[in-house]
Amino acid sequence: MTKPTDEEQIRMLAGELNRRDFLKRLGYASALALGAGGLGLALYDTKGPTVSKGRKALTGLGDFRLKGPAPGSAKMAIVRGADRGAMFERGIKALGGMEAFIRQGDRVLVKVNAAFATPASLGATTHPDLLAAVAGLCFKAGAAQVLVTDNPINNPDSCFGTSGLAEAARAAGARIIAPRAALFVPVSLPEGQLLQNWPVMAGAFQGVTKVIVVSPVKDHQRAGASMTLKNLYGFLGGRRNVFHQDINGIITELAQLLKPTLCVLDGTVSMMTNGPTGGSLSDLKETGTLVVSTDPVAADAVGVELLGRTLADVPYIRMAEKAGAGLADYRGLNPAVLDTKT
Amino acid sequence: MARVKAKVSAAQKLTGYVILAVLGLITAGLLLQQSRFNPAVNAARRAPLLKAAAPATPGGAPAATAAFLPEVEGFTPLGPVESYGPETLSDKIDGKAELYLSAGFKEMSCRSFALGAPGGEHVDVFLYDMDTPPNAYAVFSGQRRPGSPAGSLTAHAYATANALFFTQGRFYVEIVADRASEKLQVSLAAYAEELLAKLPSEGAAKDEAALFPQEGLAPDSVRLSATDAFGLEGLNNVLTGEYDLKDGKATAFIAVRETPEQARAEARRYLEFLAANGYRQVQTPGGPGDMPVLVLDNSFEAVFVEGRTLAGVHDATSPAAALQLAANLRAKLKEKP
Repeated sequence: MTKPTDEEQIRMLAGELNRRDFLKRLGYASALALGAGGLGLALYDTKGPTVSKGRKALTGLGDFRLKGPAPGSAKMAIVRGADRGAMFERGIKALGGMEAFIRQGDRVLVKVNAAFATPASLGATTHPDLLAAVAGLCFKAGAAQVLVTDNPINNPDSCFGTSGLAEAARAAGARIIAPRAALFVPVSLPEGQLLQNWPVMAGAFQGVTKVIVVSPVKDHQRAGASMTLKNLYGFLGGRRNVFHQDINGIITELAQLLKPTLCVLDGTVSMMTNGPTGGSLSDLKETGTLVVSTDPVAADAVGVELLGRTLADVPYIRMAEKAGAGLADYRGLNPAVLDTKT
Repeated sequence: MARVKAKVSAAQKLTGYVILAVLGLITAGLLLQQSRFNPAVNAARRAPLLKAAAPATPGGAPAATAAFLPEVEGFTPLGPVESYGPETLSDKIDGKAELYLSAGFKEMSCRSFALGAPGGEHVDVFLYDMDTPPNAYAVFSGQRRPGSPAGSLTAHAYATANALFFTQGRFYVEIVADRASEKLQVSLAAYAEELLAKLPSEGAAKDEAALFPQEGLAPDSVRLSATDAFGLEGLNNVLTGEYDLKDGKATAFIAVRETPEQARAEARRYLEFLAANGYRQVQTPGGPGDMPVLVLDNSFEAVFVEGRTLAGVHDATSPAAALQLAANLRAKLKEKP
């Protein structure tokens, strides 16, 4: 093969860069750029993403209430005393015993309040003695597994560890489910104003057949009080502090998101001031009361009284009642009032 | 002259098609992912789920407050110093964050310690930078535990059975143990002294209680509301003091503004706010003409302006208590140079 002459090379070069070819290529390039730009414009969503169409958000965490409670049993027990374990045993017995709620092979999720890495003595978290009592009776009733969870946002290992909940769970044979990204899926509450496509720790509910919410009674700087319903806030992921601007609204929606099997509200010692963190032992008061209830709204209504407040001081309770989550006038449930000292 | 087209070999063509196919696949993948895009899940993944420590601002420099937390003999750190900024404070203290944020919070560093042998007392130290001394006083006074004795650490300090709380300049400090004992108090005070030695000195603290008439003033009841005092949006930086007087109980309030006009405008706004909430003006024979007294459900309010100070009485249990306290307060304000 002979090498092209200088003249041929000039011709080839001239052939590629002649005016017609140049304009043609310029036209192609412009059309391609315009097409790509137009396609981008056509695909641009000015409103931003809404609920995914291809992957539907969950509409709730489930209804775990018993369909037919034990006949003759109370729906709520208010137990006076100082020993959390003994108080819970008395209370659950009045509701028909743990066997009425937990059946052989049940997989039970216990939602605790482990929001802070503070020792149990400061009353900012679910007391480990109460968790031990609840988990122990679950196993005794035949539960195959007891899972304990919360999403404290900040350093969950430290929160579960320092509060004593990790050790209590381990000793009782329960397993802690610490939050991790894979557990969160988007949830949209039908008709919800706030819970739209928001990450919720629904992964912790996989295979779960019963849910027990175990909460302390606390003052709360923003919500007025932190008890059972506020405890459900711990299922939320993301930058959930945005909801503090409408704290009553979000708690009301959380009350609709999950219907627990059982609620245990611990007012043995209540945090009367400077909640939800407290810090001083003088923030605490021995209020000597534990509530075991199938109705979270009714349980919280009792808690409000332990804090020396009224339902007007804690608006989300009435709002949750209006949303159908329970009964604010807890006396309408004819609660069994018991005392462990008698 | 005949045009010569550039020759493209089969291999070049194949390479071109492969590149185009890969680009097409990438486009299809992007479109598929875009259709499933979910900001909520992304938000969850961004959330600091398992972090042990963080700078005060995400991605920012380490918090300045971290350097002030001393290592003190006998206090064994249980972990690294943690720091939080306005965006992350609620990760640590949840709903309490609003109290600090509304008062000008800048950053906070904290650390946990064990005292003595393993299983000994657990101590948490929180150091808040509130940007200004009044802001620090606002969060200090707003959380003051009634009946707790004043401490000698600083001008604004008190102790409870298991904890110390104090301000130093723009800093607010909490040193909290998990139990109460006299020996423990000595250790907490030792830590506080070392911390104070590291904090920058910002001059003498203001004595807010001295602004109020002393007759009937409940000890340690003086508080500073940084924002939205008495539920009125924008009524900021209001000092209050609680009184027990012969004619009943009442709360006095003082809010110093930059000019008398500002004070008068704010007084008008507060009176309009009270009226909008159902308060009605009552006649007070013998009372000063420039001091309206309003009532709702046996709760009396009196409002006046003295120079550039908006002042008055809130939630008095009788008109006599309201007028008496308002007169005492006005006399006290006139004493000011």
